[in-house]
Order: sequence, then C-alpha cells, then structure tokens
Amino acid sequence: MTDLSASTDLDVQPIVSARGLRKKFGRKEILHGLDFDIPPGRIYGLIGHNGAGKTTTLNAMLGLTHCEGTIRVLGEDPFAKRAKLMENVAFISDVASLPRFLRVRELFALLTNIHPNFSPEKARSFLEGTDIKPEMKVKHLSKGMVAQLHLAVVMAIDAKLLVLDEPTLGLDITYRKRFYRRLLEDYMTEERTLIITTHQVDEIEFMLSDIMFIRDGDLILHMQMETVNEKFTQLVVNDPAQHAAARAHGPVYEETRFGQTVMIFDGIDRAVLEPYGRLSTPTLSDLFVALMQRPTANPEAAR
Amino acid sequence: MKAFTALVHREYIEHRGAFLIGPLILVAVLFGATILAFTVGRVDARFSGALFTVAPLRVYELGFLFFGLGWSLYMISVLFFYCADGFAADKRNNAMLFWKSMPVTDFKVLLSKLVAGITVLPGTVYAVALLSGLLLFGVAYVTMLINGTATVATLSSIVVIYGQVALAILVAIVCGLLWYLPMMALVGAVATAVGRWAIPISLLVPALVSTLEWVTLGGLHPFQTHTWRFIEYRGALPSTPYIESWSVSAESFNGVAFATDLIAHMDWTQVGIGVVFAIFVLYLASEYRRRVNDN
Repeated sequence: MTDLSASTDLDVQPIVSARGLRKKFGRKEILHGLDFDIPPGRIYGLIGHNGAGKTTTLNAMLGLTHCEGTIRVLGEDPFAKRAKLMENVAFISDVASLPRFLRVRELFALLTNIHPNFSPEKARSFLEGTDIKPEMKVKHLSKGMVAQLHLAVVMAIDAKLLVLDEPTLGLDITYRKRFYRRLLEDYMTEERTLIITTHQVDEIEFMLSDIMFIRDGDLILHMQMETVNEKFTQLVVNDPAQHAAARAHGPVYEETRFGQTVMIFDGIDRAVLEPYGRLSTPTLSDLFVALMQRPTANPEAAR
Repeated sequence: MKAFTALVHREYIEHRGAFLIGPLILVAVLFGATILAFTVGRVDARFSGALFTVAPLRVYELGFLFFGLGWSLYMISVLFFYCADGFAADKRNNAMLFWKSMPVTDFKVLLSKLVAGITVLPGTVYAVALLSGLLLFGVAYVTMLINGTATVATLSSIVVIYGQVALAILVAIVCGLLWYLPMMALVGAVATAVGRWAIPISLLVPALVSTLEWVTLGGLHPFQTHTWRFIEYRGALPSTPYIESWSVSAESFNGVAFATDLIAHMDWTQVGIGVVFAIFVLYLASEYRRRVNDN
C-alpha cells in the first residue's frame, strides 16, 4: 500500500532511495525486498513491531549493515561511503551511545575537530536552560539529561538527514514532549529530512508528514499523512443491526470497545459509511493496530 | 589530520589513568623510595664499594638506567593491556554507534588508537622517566654534598651523565616500539573482535601454529620449530654488546655509543615487515568493525 506522490516529483532528488532491499541474518530474512524513496524536507515516521525490521532498515540507510539490493542516501552507497556520508547525516540510536568518560566540554571540543559541520556554539545554546553544565561527565548525567545532550549534539550538526531510532526510549513524558518540541522548533527546515522510529506513535503523530509501516520485513504502508487522513476512515457502529451492512464494505480491521464496534476502512467513500454510525479519522496508533495484525505473534518462527 | 589528532586526543582522555595518572603516582612512589633509600642507609651514600671507588658517579648512571629499564617494562606491559582494552572500548562502553555517526572511517579510528598507544603513552613514560631521573640525581647529589663526597664541580659531570642516559632511554624506547609494533597491532586487532581476551588469544595462536608445524613437519617438540624460534627472536629486543662491555668497565656511560650499537643490531627488514603486518591486521580489524554492528 504505497502512495509515493511526494517522491515521484521528477525535479526532487530523493534523500533516500531503496530498491529490492533485503537482509538476512543467517537463514532468516529480516527485510524482504523493500522499495521506497524519501524526498527532502519531510518528517517520516518508520513504525513497526519489535523485530519488524525498522532498525535494520535504518542501519542500512546509515551504512551500518550491508544489505542486498540497492540503497542510496544523498546519492551515495551508505555502506561503502559511511564516513563521507556522515558529514551530512546525523543519527541517534536506540541505545545510550554518548561516550561516558567525556565531560560535556571535552565532547564539544572533540566534535569540533572531528565533525566539519558541528557547531559548538549551537550545541551550547541548545543546552541553555537545562541542568547540563560543561564540566559534567556524561556518566554522571541522568538518562533524560543524556538524551538532551545527545539531541543538542545532533541538532548542532548541519546535516541534511537526521535519523532518530527510538530516541526517547526510557524517558518520562515531560522529557519526551520537550525533546520533540525542540526538534521541531529549533532544527527542522525545508532542506532537512527527519526519520523517526518509536513505539509511542501518538506522541509523534502531530509532527509527521509521512509514515511508513513495516511488518515482518515488508513495507505495508508508505504514505503522506494527508493521504492517510483521506484514505482511511474509522466507523463506530452503535446499532448492532448495522454491523452486517457496514461489514459488507470490507473493513481492514474490526474490534469491540466498550460495547461499540469500531471498524477501519481503507479507500471507502465517507458518504457511503455515514449512515452506519459515527465517522472519524483513525489515529496513527489505531491505524497501526489495524494494519499490523499478524496471524501469529512470531510469524518468522512459524514459516 | 585535525580529526585524526582529535581521535588520538580522545584516546588520551579515555585512558588518562594509564597514560598519565598511573606514571605520575609511580614517580611519586619512586621519589619517596629514593629519599628513604638514601636517608635510612639502604644505599651506600659514601659510595665506598670497590666499583664506586673507581667510578664514583656510577650510581647516577646505574640508577637512571635502572629507572629507564623499569619505565620501559611498564610501558610495554601497559601498551599490551591498552591494546587489548582500548580497541574494544567503544563496543564495551556502548559508544560504538556514536563513533560510527562521525565522519571518520573505522580504519582511521583504529589507527588513532594504535598511534595513541605508540606516541602518547611512550611520550608520557619518557617524560616521567626523565623526571624520575632528575629526582634521583637531585637526591643523590644533595646527599653527596652533605656527606662531602661531591662538590659543585661534580654537577657538570652529572649533567653530562643525565644527557647520555636520557638519550639511551629515548633510543631504546623508540626501537622497542618499532620492534614490538606488530605484536601490539595484533593484540589490538584481535581485541576488536574478542575484547580483553585478546592477550591470551594472541599468545595462544602462535603456540598453536608452532604445534601444527611440529605435528605436520616434525621436530623434537612443539617448542623446537621454525615458528617458535621466530617467535622467540621477535619477542626479545636485539642484544647490545656495548652494555655488556660497559657494565664490566670503569668507563662513563656513552649514550651515543649505546644508541649506535642498538640501531646497528636492529633487524630493520623485520621492522619493515612488522610495520606492513601491523597495517594489514589493523585493516582487517577495521573491516570487521565496519561489518559487525554489535550495538
């Protein structure tokens, strides 16, 4: 289910382009031939279950793992040209990865010399108003402070692509909200592209321009958020007599909540559904649950 | 080059304890021990022994050379531990992905670790060796002034001795680093894959190769093979006849003669092969690091 209207503009060179992207660990195939383009200036949400292949896809984009097929980031093969690519790509991985032995000022001084596009002034300005001081060692910072510091570091890099893999994992709601707000207010411009993976999809829904749902190594949805809102409809049916009639339109998902039946439809005209109940646009988490249904909890093992 | 220097600097920051703090603590301990040795009578402060009667300033030469030998042994042992620890540190500290987000290749990162090991640590060790020599000379000279066995005129001879021994220690350190470079690179490369187990594995592999040679090609036992003879040859610095002759003579120590002798007895072909081998195993380790995403 792919709508690439944003990426089919011939004038726009995609930031990331993948064709037939496959990855195997041993005999187990993790990615089953992904095809996608990510144009510049967009905020992408890459969403999927644990083990769906999100991190492997991101690792392929970042040159951290070798895959079959073709992937190009900013026109380069990321695995072959990772070091060069990192001048224009910044990322935060899902693990606490800042060097713990460094002081904040030492970290900024090193990055100034190592990364040509890092600005220590910007990094310091991003930390203004926080409790993080230059003399503090990373290992003495709380988890939330490490996340703030890491975000300040990547936002101080003048990169074309920023990849965030579960950047707020383990953080409380206050830090998470502040994290995403700063990202939007202080970092995003029309030239920059942001790719985020997270399980807390509701928290990033407001900022996304596009979504990619990945299930068991397959891309099952790749769409602009506007298209998602037009294409998918949620119907809440209160009258049991209407169930059968509504169901006849082929909902992609159906569940019962507090005695009401909730159905999600794909590509059905809202006027057709209106007589059966209350209509709304499904939230991203509702859509996620609807589209990510699997026959077993671990289908790979069942193959 | 700026990025590479910064990477070397970060190795210094990460291993400041072994590179700087440890040696400084040892200098303080040695200084205390030197003062005690001269003040509680452990050293014959009047230098009345047979040798010292003939060569009264030999205590300076022997003392400083002994310190130089001690610091060299410290350096070599710390270097091997550093290679086993430092090359695996990014993985162990969970910082691998952070360094991989930087625009530097894995080869450059690993090379910076080796370069830090053979420049920053030896530089510090040489500096503290000079400092410990200075402290030794200071304590010995003051003691001799107090007991009347030295005059102000002795000072110029002591300064010459200091310079000669300092030169000898410098040349020995540089030659030692060049000689042991392939071993350090091998330990570092193995550590990239197996962490701190690199030291026993790096020792085990040659023993296994030697055993295989004995099994397949014959010989008296596994330690009577070409492989083992080569390992023994590469495991020890070339001997210097100058030191042997000087130690039984009454002549002053000549640093230039020692340095010339050591350089002349170095197998430079082996040094060259060692450098190529070091770069090759570092390249292999960097390819491993590039391909294996452990985080």
